[in-house]
Amino acid sequence: MHHELIRLGAGAHAFAIQILGNRDDAADAVQDAMVKALSAPDAYDARQGPLKPWFYRVVRNRCLDLLRGRRSNTETVDALPAAGPDPESALAAEQRDSEIQRALDTLPPAQRQILVLRDYLDLGYAEISVVLDIPPGTVMSRLHRARNAMREALNNHVK
Amino acid sequence: MSNDDTKHRDDIGDLLSGYIDNELTQQERQRVELHCEDCEQTRKDLEELRALRQRIGQSRLGELDAGAWGERMNDTSVRVTAAIGWTLFIGGLLLAAGTFVVSLLFDDQIGVFGKLVIVGIYGGLAGLLISVLRQRLIERKSDKYKNVRI
Repeated sequence: MHHELIRLGAGAHAFAIQILGNRDDAADAVQDAMVKALSAPDAYDARQGPLKPWFYRVVRNRCLDLLRGRRSNTETVDALPAAGPDPESALAAEQRDSEIQRALDTLPPAQRQILVLRDYLDLGYAEISVVLDIPPGTVMSRLHRARNAMREALNNHVK
Repeated sequence: MSNDDTKHRDDIGDLLSGYIDNELTQQERQRVELHCEDCEQTRKDLEELRALRQRIGQSRLGELDAGAWGERMNDTSVRVTAAIGWTLFIGGLLLAAGTFVVSLLFDDQIGVFGKLVIVGIYGGLAGLLISVLRQRLIERKSDKYKNVRI
């Protein structure tokens, strides 16, 4: 489980940022969730489904706990450092990422979460319903509303 | 665009997301494809949704890479090991101290005052230990993650 959690860490961090709006808090939340998962390995039953949605749900629970404890924290996400060695492509990637994050920031948290789970982390609808604890039948409509809101947010940003 | 077209597109709206995600039944897929044959706006919507999904998927949303998480996890392992080590060390120390105190209390060569001081010191340490254990027990009972199941 240790290595699988490390593999899931990056995606879980991106997901947690959408809930908490802060990279450092999100990293702490993911690390707390990892500690919880490792200290209680029996809580996860592989026969019930894959680890990924289960772990993201633990991360989400931890984020919601943090939100309840730190209602005043509204710090926005900073732009990330450049990823590639080529300065021009790195700058373009940074601008692209920044636009996406700014557009996401304008959406309600529930829409940010479902968008990131589907379009960024590539979870299926059944897995999303597990992570968000919503009926599978509502995932598609919520996701579609979130996508439309995101399109609008990006269009407004371009204008 | 007529009102009928708009209504039709509203009806099919949610299915567009399901369509690009391959989450529809065969019947629903056919319904979307049939609609797209006659509706240019819906075809455009589909393309925009695909482009949006691709754009989000290719972005980098504040993630730390696997190496960073490996370091954090190692840090976590070190902290857990250290906590276990400290618990064993303090437990052993208290046991040794308790044995020492009992032997002192029954030592006739130490006066009553000396015995009271020794009892006070070790009584205080025991109180601190009990308060820490009590706090840990309360945290454990209120742990919301212990029942997380799929």
